[in-house]
Amino acid sequence: MTTTYDGGRQLSRLSIHDDAQQMIERAREEGVETVWDRLRAQEPQCGYCQLGLSCRNCAMGPCRIDPFGEGPQRGVCGADADVIVARNLGRTIAAGSSSHSDHGRDILEVFSAMAHGENSGYRVTDEAKLRRIALEVGVAIEGRSTNEVAIDLADELMANYGTAKGSLSFIERVPALRREKWTGLGITPRGIDRENVEMMHRTHMGVDNDYVNLLLHGLRTALADGWGGSMIATELSDIMFGTPSPVTSEVNLGVLETDQVNIAMHGHNPLLSDVVVTAAQDPELVELARSYGATGINIVGLCCTGNEMLMRKGVHIAGNHLMQELVLVTGALEAMVVDYQCIMPSVVDVAKCYHTKIISTSDKAKFPGATHVSFDPHRGAEIAHDIVRMAVEAYPNRNRDRVRIPVAPVQMMGGFSVEAILGALGGTPQPLVDAIVAGTIRGAVAVVGCNNPKLAQDFEHIELTRKLIENDILVLVTGCAAVANGKAGQMMPAAADLAGPGLGALCKSLGIPPVLHMGSCVDNSRIMQLAAALANAIGVDIDSLPLAGAAPEWYSEKAVAIGAYVVGSGITTVLGVQPPIFGSANVVNLLADGLDGVVGAKFAVEPDPYKAALLIRRHIEAKRQGLGLTFIASDDVRDEEFATAGATVGG
Amino acid sequence: MMRTVFVNPERCIGCLQCEVACAVEHSASHELAEAFHEVPLPRKRVHVEAGAVPDTSYPNKCRHCDPAPCQRVCPTGAIHRDTSGDLVLIDARRCIGCAMCAVVCPFDVLTFHPLAGTMTPESLVAVKCDGCEQRVGRGEVPACVESCKVDALIYGEINELVAAGRLRESGAVLAAAGLTPAAADGDPLAGWRSFGAARLSVNGAAQDTWVRHRRENGARAGQDQNAAATQAPSGSRREEGTS
Repeated sequence: MTTTYDGGRQLSRLSIHDDAQQMIERAREEGVETVWDRLRAQEPQCGYCQLGLSCRNCAMGPCRIDPFGEGPQRGVCGADADVIVARNLGRTIAAGSSSHSDHGRDILEVFSAMAHGENSGYRVTDEAKLRRIALEVGVAIEGRSTNEVAIDLADELMANYGTAKGSLSFIERVPALRREKWTGLGITPRGIDRENVEMMHRTHMGVDNDYVNLLLHGLRTALADGWGGSMIATELSDIMFGTPSPVTSEVNLGVLETDQVNIAMHGHNPLLSDVVVTAAQDPELVELARSYGATGINIVGLCCTGNEMLMRKGVHIAGNHLMQELVLVTGALEAMVVDYQCIMPSVVDVAKCYHTKIISTSDKAKFPGATHVSFDPHRGAEIAHDIVRMAVEAYPNRNRDRVRIPVAPVQMMGGFSVEAILGALGGTPQPLVDAIVAGTIRGAVAVVGCNNPKLAQDFEHIELTRKLIENDILVLVTGCAAVANGKAGQMMPAAADLAGPGLGALCKSLGIPPVLHMGSCVDNSRIMQLAAALANAIGVDIDSLPLAGAAPEWYSEKAVAIGAYVVGSGITTVLGVQPPIFGSANVVNLLADGLDGVVGAKFAVEPDPYKAALLIRRHIEAKRQGLGLTFIASDDVRDEEFATAGATVGG
Repeated sequence: MMRTVFVNPERCIGCLQCEVACAVEHSASHELAEAFHEVPLPRKRVHVEAGAVPDTSYPNKCRHCDPAPCQRVCPTGAIHRDTSGDLVLIDARRCIGCAMCAVVCPFDVLTFHPLAGTMTPESLVAVKCDGCEQRVGRGEVPACVESCKVDALIYGEINELVAAGRLRESGAVLAAAGLTPAAADGDPLAGWRSFGAARLSVNGAAQDTWVRHRRENGARAGQDQNAAATQAPSGSRREEGTS
């Protein structure tokens, strides 16, 4: 609301990275519109919508509640601010939860077809994990072939989506104390699709008019994602494409190659990217690229597809959410291959200014102006081959004078699956528990979520993470937050020097970074598993552990679902961007306070990364005190130093 | 030169964003999520009222008349003109809430609310548009204009804005008469397109001229105005925000 005419135009206020700033400047010079221009054109944004006070669920409306009290305080149906805000939030959670879960279903369907021998390019890569998961969910494995086990596992997991099964296959992973809490509150998820559909039902006019009841179902809907849809996506991806183990890769726009065919894989699902990576190594296609004067084919990742490829294959990653337009501005990209989620419709328009082809692949995500290649997993390898060929054939169209690759890449480490972390610790979480008990590591925080053009890109991610590791708090990252920290050099073992004495020494002894890359946004389910394993090792509920979550730069509905299942699982979460709920004091009070009494965790909003780090550290110390571990009292003088130091750096 | 907020009522879609932007602009915090918790509540000074037929609405606000009937009848001299002469302002500290201004206002845009910085905290004083004098002093357009996504509210020099309307009418008449090239091609929407194009080009030019003018000369002029506001508080939001 307080936008000034030249405010927010300085490059340093848009992104803290050199590669981004150079490309934004170039986009301006060339008259290419980017996300920051469009945000500016939208400002000031609708106040009712920012507060969650607008409702367009029915045709008696649309309605708005006047936050200043002069105008209407109820919609046409009679819904007050509490109901409208809660209904809107409920639908947001359902959208996010549905996105992850539908991604999981796509993988499950391919997995099932693979087990039946019906598709090409897919196989079981991690046989041991297949059998371990099968055993866990009650599928017989003794004396049975890989495909027999996989077929039964697929059937078992498919039943998670409907209503017939009535519970989730992975529910036993949740600590017993937590499951009791969920049962008491009536929020144990019963089926993935069921909770989403029920949320859409409840938020229809005249169904659930109790904001508390609605928000509790919001938690259940999200839990069906975190312990259901997302978890299925992660586990089956591991089985088909390999369970990640530590791998070194490179990040930022410098991963593009001046003299190679550059293909960016953008979106979320590893089904496509995996076969494209394989196709790009086909000697026939490499030879074709050479015939056009390129020295090879360079696949790079963007967003979560990038994270999936980095985690498993060490494929270089060009950037996160806000880099998707800027990567095109380099003029060095032959093709951007997209599937779904977080792909701005604008990439098609930006690509028109260069020789880049945008190739859409999912029949549920079409982009007018893009070349659509319908991805049929039954012919996965063949289609991937065609896509790479299209990119190679775009290479002669590249205008060499317009290629500008702004920086040299930075190294980052990824691949920290739960299996890899436990493996490094000797197979059990006990060493991690010991380190927490001894205070070597004071706790752990999941820093996750997106980019948002309302904030300087990656500033919050990087500063919050650095403050936490300085305080001996281990940081687990996924999604855009992982790429941000990678670009800042905080994800190499050498970054142990940035960490506090305890965490730093531990990282050096294990040769790991203080910030562990756990994958894409569906892979937040890995963090849930790790938290559950820690709770079970100590014999407490998750909410007793010195853990926290943070989504400093979130923008997406999926992030709201993640936040809700993280809190529902007992981990307090700090958001850096205000969610559209502030129109209802009751909803805010429930989420920021009341929930603590029922699920042992709550939400907080703090856009300043230094204040957020202080908030988190106090929370972790309080949890340590609760467990009888050594803790730093919250009125300790170090708080003052901490906040002051932050203010200096921030200013 | 008379600068004002001009209204194109046929473009108003009733989104009410001007009302919210106005209230936030006149709050102490200038932050949406905080503004509506303030005591006393910040108040909007633009009022979007539904029209006589469905889907019409009109954002009504003080027209800053000269001579202003409200100023003439104000018994305490609380209502006065600013130094530029463009704005009619209310000194809330001198307002006794007699509502004579509301009685004579041709547009019914005076409302009465408790306001910070008044004689007694609970007394109601007259509240109306102050032309966002602080924003304009910084070279920005008024908050309601900035929030309006459809150009129902535009800001600039009155004769340029009126000329925009005139050109729009002329363009539409000529198009309807088949006297534009596009209309001659048989495009049924051509009239409306030239209508919009004519209006946008002139409106845009008028608003841009003003913003550029303030950017180039704004620093000095803005300081003068701010200095004047500090020395002689006059119901501006700076004063309201000091409670």
